[in-house]
Amino acid sequence: MVKKRNYLKTIGFWSAIVILVFLILYPFIWMVSLSLRYEIDIFSPSIIPPKITTSEYSQLLGFSKRVGTEGSLEELRSLLKDLPKEQAEAIMKKYKGAPKIFPFLRYFRNSLMLAGISSLISLLVAVFGAYSFSRLRYPGRGFMRKSILIVYLFGGIVLAVPLYQMVASIGLLSTRTGCMLSLLLIYVMQTLPVSLYMLGNYFRSIPYSIEEAAIVDGATRFGVITKIIIPLSLPVLVTVYIYAFMIGWNEYMFASIFLRGLPKLYTLPFGLNELFYTEHSVWGRMMAASILTAVPVIAMFMVFERYLTSGLTIGGVKE
Amino acid sequence: MNAKAITLEEREKILGWKLIIPALLIICSLILYPVGYNIYLSFFRVSLDPRIPKRFVGLANYGHILKDSGFWSAFGTNWLFTIMTVAGNVLIGLVVALLLNRKFPGRWFVRAIILLPYVTPVISTVFVWKYIFYPIDGPFLNIFANTLHLVKPNVDIVNNTKNAIWVVTIFNIWRNFPFAYLMFLATLQSIPASLYEAAEIDGANVWHKFRYITLPELYFVMGALVLLRGIWNFYKFDEVYLMSKFANTLPVYIYEKAFSGLPEQGVAASMSTLLFLILMVFIWFYVKKVLKW
Repeated sequence: MVKKRNYLKTIGFWSAIVILVFLILYPFIWMVSLSLRYEIDIFSPSIIPPKITTSEYSQLLGFSKRVGTEGSLEELRSLLKDLPKEQAEAIMKKYKGAPKIFPFLRYFRNSLMLAGISSLISLLVAVFGAYSFSRLRYPGRGFMRKSILIVYLFGGIVLAVPLYQMVASIGLLSTRTGCMLSLLLIYVMQTLPVSLYMLGNYFRSIPYSIEEAAIVDGATRFGVITKIIIPLSLPVLVTVYIYAFMIGWNEYMFASIFLRGLPKLYTLPFGLNELFYTEHSVWGRMMAASILTAVPVIAMFMVFERYLTSGLTIGGVKE
Repeated sequence: MNAKAITLEEREKILGWKLIIPALLIICSLILYPVGYNIYLSFFRVSLDPRIPKRFVGLANYGHILKDSGFWSAFGTNWLFTIMTVAGNVLIGLVVALLLNRKFPGRWFVRAIILLPYVTPVISTVFVWKYIFYPIDGPFLNIFANTLHLVKPNVDIVNNTKNAIWVVTIFNIWRNFPFAYLMFLATLQSIPASLYEAAEIDGANVWHKFRYITLPELYFVMGALVLLRGIWNFYKFDEVYLMSKFANTLPVYIYEKAFSGLPEQGVAASMSTLLFLILMVFIWFYVKKVLKW
């Protein structure tokens, strides 16, 4: 091997690596550091917190109640004990009651449901659809295969106004379930093209001989799909599911359009962003919430990293 | 003899259609139809409340846009944002891919963390960036203003229409460069080492090797990347809006027009239609140059 040892090159190389790692991790280190701080230390300039506390996390997760200046209904009642009844009732009526707890777990559950269910539906529809246009022959198949990538590029803001109008005129926006349902369908729509593409590619790589053998033995096409293709593609199926899940977990725009005014239904992205502008917005707590929001996705990614990385380059990402 | 005998081919056709109908239904009703409906809506005065009937106004919405300085400013900002972020993404992605192309101790660590910005949910990362750029006390200004005295400490970078574009650009590059890195790395690793060795024997130095071997192999990937990233960033809403809604790129402007303040959905629809037409031009390039290469 012809290799020269160049001292300057090595120094340059390693400084580049150090700078890279620093720039990537800098925000994350701050996130962790801030989430473990007391409120007064928030802007203390050192990256290492002066004092460490996990109280933000325990409050978010419901392990401890917030000791604070917000009054709860019971506290208000006890304060008003000595007032004449009508006055007390008049004051109580006016009290709208700020949410006592940072509703993190509620948002978490909403996001989990929406992302989890929409990805499942998307996966199901995509498996059959992808099998269809990668294996079965019928007119129009080629065109559909090619247009998947193009349809994939539509989306976002172009669909915001029409979808809103469509859902509103059907009347789905007037009920809570209607709103959730429409958002669910929209998430399926957003993840379907990329799922179809990834699964289509994968199915085409499965040798046909396996299916042939099964058909010769008398299996129906449908049986081939369920008994052979699906078990064979389990890793890819999981990858596609996680992919779609990440898209749903992350989504902000449609959630903000369809869930507006229904705080009990907010997803994590929409809910956290709204909270940022209210009195709940304590830096430490927002950071803890940020980390807790990221944990499921990062955990999933770490476990399936190999598959997801190759999926990212083949299918691209909806972002 | 049997009048109902269906050939195998026909059975296959029927099954094929049956299996793809659900997917087709969803795509047509939730993607294709809305795009058409959007164009239709752009000719009406549309309100947020569906019970109020739409009023046909012809090309009035489009005329309104042409006179709207906010629109043109958002339009220009959008191009600026797209060009800067695509350039940043591609350059940094390329540099990082080159750096990580050869083995070195600790490479596993760098490879592990490099996807973190890309994979972490957007909402998780925006708050910390807002903190970093926080006026006076945030780390960025703390260092650059209070210690180095390069900038004024009370500059609000994030919530300021003039400066927000830089924050949003930096955030976008930080978040998305791993995608470019992945694509470049995949291509780089498929270049056979023997090409480089042969060049070295012929006396090529680092620059020659890069220019005459690496770069040509990367042309195609770079083209695909620029187009894809360009399309995605031109239409990006979530990342921009969540980082700073004052950044005023076109998608943000359309969103605000349609859903906040005094909503004018018809005007928003006409803006999205224009956006869509531009998208079709992009896609035409993508299809011609990348897909049917």
